Amino acid sequence: MVMEQEAAEEVGRLVEMSWDPITRIIGNLGIYTKIDFANREVVECHSTSSLFRGYSVFMKGKDPRDAGFITSRICGICGDNHTTCSVYAQNMAYGIKTPKLAEWIINLGEAAEYMFDHTLFQDNLVFVDFCEAMVKDTNPGLLRRARTTEAPNAAIHGKRTIADIMEAFNPFEGDVYKEALRVSRTTREMFCLMEGRHVHPSTIYPGGVGTMPSPTVFTDYLSRLLGIVDFVKRAVALNDDVFDFFYEALPGYEEVGRRRVLLGCWGAFQNPEVVDYRYETMNDWGKAMYVTPSVIVDGQLVTTNLVDINLGIRVLLGSSFYDDWMAEEPFVTHDPLGNPVDMRHPWNQTTLPAPQKRDFKGNYSWVMSPRWLDPRTGDHLALDTGGGPFARLYSTALANLVDTPYVKSTGSSVQISLPKGSELPETVLEWRIPPWSNAIERNRARVYFVAYAAAMAVYFIEQAMGRVRGGDTKVFQDFEVPDEAIGAGFHEAVRGVLSHHLVIQKGKIANYHPYPPTPWNASPRDEFGTPGPYEDAVQGMPIFEENGPDDFKGVDIMRAVRSFDPCLPCGVHMYLGKGRTLKKLHSPMFGAGHG
Amino acid sequence: MGIRVGKPDVKPDTTAHVKGVRQGNQGRAHRFQAGHHKDGSADARRSTGVRPKKENPILPVMPNLPPG
Repeated sequence: MVMEQEAAEEVGRLVEMSWDPITRIIGNLGIYTKIDFANREVVECHSTSSLFRGYSVFMKGKDPRDAGFITSRICGICGDNHTTCSVYAQNMAYGIKTPKLAEWIINLGEAAEYMFDHTLFQDNLVFVDFCEAMVKDTNPGLLRRARTTEAPNAAIHGKRTIADIMEAFNPFEGDVYKEALRVSRTTREMFCLMEGRHVHPSTIYPGGVGTMPSPTVFTDYLSRLLGIVDFVKRAVALNDDVFDFFYEALPGYEEVGRRRVLLGCWGAFQNPEVVDYRYETMNDWGKAMYVTPSVIVDGQLVTTNLVDINLGIRVLLGSSFYDDWMAEEPFVTHDPLGNPVDMRHPWNQTTLPAPQKRDFKGNYSWVMSPRWLDPRTGDHLALDTGGGPFARLYSTALANLVDTPYVKSTGSSVQISLPKGSELPETVLEWRIPPWSNAIERNRARVYFVAYAAAMAVYFIEQAMGRVRGGDTKVFQDFEVPDEAIGAGFHEAVRGVLSHHLVIQKGKIANYHPYPPTPWNASPRDEFGTPGPYEDAVQGMPIFEENGPDDFKGVDIMRAVRSFDPCLPCGVHMYLGKGRTLKKLHSPMFGAGHG
Repeated sequence: MGIRVGKPDVKPDTTAHVKGVRQGNQGRAHRFQAGHHKDGSADARRSTGVRPKKENPILPVMPNLPPG
């Protein structure tokens, strides 16, 4: 009795605040929180998605050669990452490798995609949370201080005070906002030169590309790249100034969106000289990638072996609208090296959707709970991707394997050298491993990764042009579709880890499971009760917003969630204000009530 | 409990391949593609059928880079 009374009193001080769906992200994500306004802290958080896609259900029985074109439609902004990852998985299944020139072309296309997507998300969506109009509403005291704080990098970006930068972030009006739109158009053109069409590529296939490798294609790409490098240099300076100001002006802001350093990166940009897409040599070509794959726990590298990464993936249920598949027949009992493959591995997963009512004490999301089994401790780790760039830079820096003329890993940092542009000289940027995994550092890493992709693209262009000048025009490799085969593709979607697991039987797809970044980041509590990264990052975080419960905007929570670059393929804006749930409406699957 | 769905009126792989149409990935494709060589290089015949030999480089040491 006493316990119940205490619980009731405790609940009495908490205010339920919900955002469903969250805007300025892709797809349908709901964040349900309980906030203790007296102590200015988020006490409990659940992340939920009411969107069911079912790619793994309807891919069965299709021609495996179609997989890249179909899975591209998973996302309307990073579809090409899916095509590329599917191509990697199919190459493994068909026993072929992409010709070297075609591999450089795919790398160039993907580099353009990272530059496009990160710029668009950072400058046009994330910065709305940091712009003058927003800060005026949520933290007027902070804005007053920003008006008198000189920007340390004013010589590079030309904005005298921090408030001037915040004004440049204002949507539709600020000059950074508008210039970012122009830049994302240019980077999209660069992408189309290499992959034919944005965002669902028309010239990327298993076995190679359909891009005509004429010198003009590469010079068109290079001239556009040199046109945006000055924007990138200014963007890094702007970001550093604003984020450093937040740390300085709001002591304790590093706790916003902070969680344990549990990062996964599956590697990007294949090295054509090393990669042969054979599972047996996957550790070697994985380490040769120009973004190193790894799992990082508490700031330490656990592994950079793709085979270990692959075998450690476990898809758990616990709070998701699915029935368990443990009683189904496994597809792959052992990998090509003889290692046992778990029933909870994507190769053996069978998706059994079970629509039901949302219940935060039971099942509450269509997202499953992918975890990585730490072989040292036996823990199922809820890895996050840090929105993508944070894990990629962290992993590349720690692994100390990437060494190119323009990007160098040092063991504790990544040095990025950008060429001279029309206004600014050649610039060397350095991203250093920060002490925290929090909202600010995830956002800061994003702009540094734009620079990383730009610098790598210069290297890729040089390599590709070298091959073309030597008379190499081979961009496609013939192949036959085997009756029985398995394949795994590992890549980095813009917002983090991406894997495609494929099983072919009788020449058709028997099982296909794409695991993009958001199932990792947005996962609900698993069967062990471990919360997913969004829940973990928001739960227990302090609130810095000056507004009370009546006009609360939740900007700190939104900054924390958006720092992960959520992508749950859009919705209308609905804000259940004044700390009350106005009306509870829930349909787990649109149209499920019919028929 | 699964999702109740209607009876499919097409097979899942209906659009994948039409019998009799050559498949892009089939072996020895260079036989069907004028101007493409076995070793992966190409000549001007790849880009034009109008007196292509005149469009090839004038010296053998030069790379053959037919335009798109």
